[in-house]
Amino acid sequence: MNEEKVISGYDPQIMRRLLQFLKPYKLMVVFAVLGLFLSTAAELMTPVIMQQAIDKHIVVRFFRIKEGEQPLFADLKIPDDAPMIEGWLYLPTNVFSELSGREIELAKEKGAIDTSSYYVISRGGEDIEEVIWNHQKIFTLSEDYAAVLLEDLSTLPEEERMILRQRDIQGIAEAAVLFFILLAGGLIFSFLEVYLMASTGQGVMKDLRMKILGHTLGQSLKFIDKNPVGSLVTRVTNDVETVNELFTTVATSVLKDISLMVGVVVTLFLLDTRLGFITFLTLPPVFFITLYYRVRARDAYRRVRMWVSKVNAYLSEHISGMEIVQIFGREKRCRKEFSETSGELLKANISEMLVYACFRPIINFLTSLSIGVIIYFGARGYIENLISLGVLIAFIHLIGKFFRPVMDMAEKFTIMQSSMAGGERVFALLDQVERISDTGTEPLPDPVRGKIEFRDVNFSYVEDEQVLKDLAFQVEPGETIAIVGYTGAGKTTIASLLSRLWDVDSGSILLDGIDIRSFPLHELRKMIQPVQQDVFIFSRSIVENIALGSNITREEVERAAKIVFADSFIRKLPEGYDTILDERGANLSTGQRQLLSFARVVAHDPKVLILDEATGSIDTETEKLIQRALNNLLEGRTSFVIAHRLSTIRHADRILVLSGGELVESGSHSELLSREGVYYNLYKYQYEAGNREILT
Amino acid sequence: MLKEFKTLIPYLKRYIPYYIAGLLFLIITDAAQLLIPQFIRKAINLIYTGNFELREILTTMALMLLIALFVAIGRFGWRYFIHGASRRIERELRDDLFSHLLLLSSTFYRKMKTGDIMARATNDMRAIRMASGMGFVAFIDGIFMMIAILIILFTRYPQIALITIAPLPVVTLFVLSFGKMLGHRFKRVQEGFSRLSEHAQESLSGIRVIKTFVQEKSNLSRFEETNEEYRATNMALVRVWGFFFPIIGFLSGITSLLLLKFGGVATLKGDISPGDFVAVLSYLEMLIWPMMGAGFMVNMLQRGAASLERINKILHEKPDITSPPEPLREIKSWDIRIDNLSFSYNGEDVLDNISFLLPEGNTLGILGRTGSGKSTLIRLLPRLLDPPKGSIFLGGQDVHEYELSLLRSAVGLVPQDTFLFSSSIRENLSFGNPDMKEEGIREVADISTISRELETFSEGWNTQVGERGISLSGGQKQRISISRALAIQPPVMIFDDALSAVDTETEESILNAFLKKRQGKTNIIISHRVSTLHAADSIIVLDEGKIIQRGTHEELVREEGLYQEINNLQKLEHHGERGQK
Repeated sequence: MNEEKVISGYDPQIMRRLLQFLKPYKLMVVFAVLGLFLSTAAELMTPVIMQQAIDKHIVVRFFRIKEGEQPLFADLKIPDDAPMIEGWLYLPTNVFSELSGREIELAKEKGAIDTSSYYVISRGGEDIEEVIWNHQKIFTLSEDYAAVLLEDLSTLPEEERMILRQRDIQGIAEAAVLFFILLAGGLIFSFLEVYLMASTGQGVMKDLRMKILGHTLGQSLKFIDKNPVGSLVTRVTNDVETVNELFTTVATSVLKDISLMVGVVVTLFLLDTRLGFITFLTLPPVFFITLYYRVRARDAYRRVRMWVSKVNAYLSEHISGMEIVQIFGREKRCRKEFSETSGELLKANISEMLVYACFRPIINFLTSLSIGVIIYFGARGYIENLISLGVLIAFIHLIGKFFRPVMDMAEKFTIMQSSMAGGERVFALLDQVERISDTGTEPLPDPVRGKIEFRDVNFSYVEDEQVLKDLAFQVEPGETIAIVGYTGAGKTTIASLLSRLWDVDSGSILLDGIDIRSFPLHELRKMIQPVQQDVFIFSRSIVENIALGSNITREEVERAAKIVFADSFIRKLPEGYDTILDERGANLSTGQRQLLSFARVVAHDPKVLILDEATGSIDTETEKLIQRALNNLLEGRTSFVIAHRLSTIRHADRILVLSGGELVESGSHSELLSREGVYYNLYKYQYEAGNREILT
Repeated sequence: MLKEFKTLIPYLKRYIPYYIAGLLFLIITDAAQLLIPQFIRKAINLIYTGNFELREILTTMALMLLIALFVAIGRFGWRYFIHGASRRIERELRDDLFSHLLLLSSTFYRKMKTGDIMARATNDMRAIRMASGMGFVAFIDGIFMMIAILIILFTRYPQIALITIAPLPVVTLFVLSFGKMLGHRFKRVQEGFSRLSEHAQESLSGIRVIKTFVQEKSNLSRFEETNEEYRATNMALVRVWGFFFPIIGFLSGITSLLLLKFGGVATLKGDISPGDFVAVLSYLEMLIWPMMGAGFMVNMLQRGAASLERINKILHEKPDITSPPEPLREIKSWDIRIDNLSFSYNGEDVLDNISFLLPEGNTLGILGRTGSGKSTLIRLLPRLLDPPKGSIFLGGQDVHEYELSLLRSAVGLVPQDTFLFSSSIRENLSFGNPDMKEEGIREVADISTISRELETFSEGWNTQVGERGISLSGGQKQRISISRALAIQPPVMIFDDALSAVDTETEESILNAFLKKRQGKTNIIISHRVSTLHAADSIIVLDEGKIIQRGTHEELVREEGLYQEINNLQKLEHHGERGQK
């Protein structure tokens, strides 16, 4: 197994091309991103709600400033409806966070501010008035408000305290409702986002797969020669699947993580600029450590992937080849080899484990460090009345949210890079173009008579290795032509050129006097069909294997099978024509497969036929049947037979003898024998060798 | 379920020190982790009272960081030991699985396909690793943390403990029921993926047929259906799976909500301090993971058990072909005698009462139609399939009496289907005889004529043959396979129609060189071609598992029967030609 590139760097060009595939899903993506932002916002809002509830209702404190001294506190936003009692203006403590400790000290010296902790109640309601009445001494009153020192408040019995604070209790309940709405919103939006993103990813995968297969099917055979089927299958399946990771992991989780982390930082700054700034200073180490471990995690992942694929390749190969291992008594050696490979995988796994075993605890420790710093500086701010308890708690809460995504950040980067590599391989494939140009517009003659002419055809698969040289001949409609020659003489190439699986380098091939390149490719291929040596069977029913998706009725299929004597063996199969064949037709013999491929041709009824005779081992009786079927098959069609059997050659109207890509002789069997040339020698050698197969 | 885990016991035992160390670290981590909120609580309470020295806060935080350091070390420790142990167990189990696979015969490999075995060796192995690593951690961690946190919550904050933890059991139940719902959806996605791969594989392998019959469009539209199906199963999974983390987030949010509502009022009343409020918030967050872990653990153990069951299916498969308890370690001669051998396979009679004698140094030819039992017959000799006792004798002893590796190394078999390993040509040639010298390789390569093509290989003997020899032609593969068997210079050599992809001229020269090399040794040659069998000292003709004819080529040609019939058919063409001439 070749070790394919598992990880590539971030490549903007690949990203851009992948984004092209997002176009049809634009709307979905927009809504997904919207869902993502909304759910992130909801998640960030919850600590803020909690902070508000703590500062406004749970742990409430007021300071008071002298009326008329407001100019001293010009920086403060003093609400117009701030409670005013006996010449003092009561302000919640968090209002003062704009002032520095020194400014407050200055104001204190002037007697402009009183930083004792007060609680302020809006008056009204019988129960509240009753409590105030009972404890007149500790309250300072105005018409609308009552203020009380917190120390004094705590001396009251619990019941009375609850009465005074019923508005706070109600406030908490309201905050809880708001909290619930945010949670529910977060749930809905994040599901929406996951669902839409997955849907987009699935859609893109489907499009990509269709594109790859469509692209491949549209290419000439050169493409298949360059790309082994195994790796093409990997492109269509696994590589596309890793590209999907880009949508599911990267888009949903990395984007979400990043917006959450940015959101946390922004919220921190909004809650308190100073503490936000200090907290922010603790973050760069996280950044550098993550960067460092990202590289190590990637390297470790690479190593693991490499050894995983080696172990799997070894395993799968030796399971398939177990009989060979046992025949050659190699069990001990294999056990040792496998154990070595598997040991390398273990080493790679352990070193990957170590990367994460170091990284995660470090990040965890950094979380605690940040919390420590927040609490310490928070405490300083609190002393100076710069910060409220609620804000401090919200900071602790939020910083936890910041660090959680960092934990698997390194892992996600690795996934992102490997899906980039997947994308790179897919696009590299899509960039390969080996198309047979299909520009012909000429309609086929009606009816096609089947006259074929090769006019000075030159062709080579690889440059400088000419396979056909100035090949020229004519074939009349209905004629059967045998093509003989040694291996490599260019026999099979003729077949591929006729059906335009390849195109000639120079010269031309004419059907009924017209260059085959001027017909639409599909029309041409319907008229000229090759029958290959190794018959490919699809794992579908016999009917489908004969009709191959063309518009052919079942009756026509059965008639075709009868013509080539395939009917009798098909009927003997358990489900007759509806028998589902094995992958690669393992439940049919070679001969039966050959007959099936004949039936295919008869059903599709081409005017020109190219038959590559099988050389494989078919038992002699089946071979007789094939010969008879062949006669029916060739009837009424212009046919080229790349012949290996003497009987076939003898029945041909004409024999073309190829040697080194050139036509060296042509004529009937007896004509050619009497000429005592290449054919004679070929024939004589094979004949004297006493072999069944005359020409190979 | 527990029964399946028995297989793991010996492995677990070997790593007991790892698990104990891991456990210790885990408990240190958990205990230290539980202390952290207490420091925060203390600091917040200090701050709340307003009467504090900054130094007090500083020392509290410093202490907290010290504890956090313990947490970090502990986390490293348990990961190192427990993941380390589970990785090592995985490796040993995989090695043992492969060792066991090496002992199993083709009877087993007929039953279980390569893809299936591979799935067990990879996916199931992963599930077992999860069960023995993360499953273990989740179990211990979950139980310890859950109990400890519940104790802390109920003893210190009894007023709000019960109400705030109410959503947590729901988390566990949710994860559990989710696992079940997801299970079969995952399975369907995997099946969809297999179908997709199969379809792609088939379309791409059959591309010539598709192109010549102009079926690109119909093929693509079929592929689109498969694709669409796969997409649908994926979305069915997402509809459930997509809810998972949002719901977990929601439920953990609900605990915070309950704390806000009830803890908030309790703080306001003065029942608990603001520091307590924050501490409970931290504890509740810490509880989420063990609660999820409990659900995960059950799933992981269930999956682990299911996977172990699948692995056990292989491990418990008794090797049906083994050496006897007291094996013979020497083969005295290379006479082969087959006595009334009948053999049936999968309930089908393949061979019926076969008897023959093949004296040392002779060559036996076997002719027969496809399915006449030839390939089965020759697999019985080196016990790749097991013959009934008392039917096959080598050197006068029942083949069952010999040590298996001795028997097999004595018999060189060139099977009909050539299988090469994806290594270099040299490594393939010396597969059975790794210490072979350059001249030896040269010699066996000359016999099969593969050496003629040496210069066409880009790197000579060191050219990689690709997966299963993909870069070679059929004939090249067959010839390498022949050389490979010759390299071990086996006293008995069997050729199973091994020259079908080679042209007649080459076949001739290979056979001549082969027989010369094998002079005086015992050979069995199977072929479809009468011409190939010329040189055999004696020939048997098999039909439907019976010997219907035996004799030399000359005798059989004269005798009426299948041999003559085939010979005539293969000669027929020449007679026809003679007439024309």
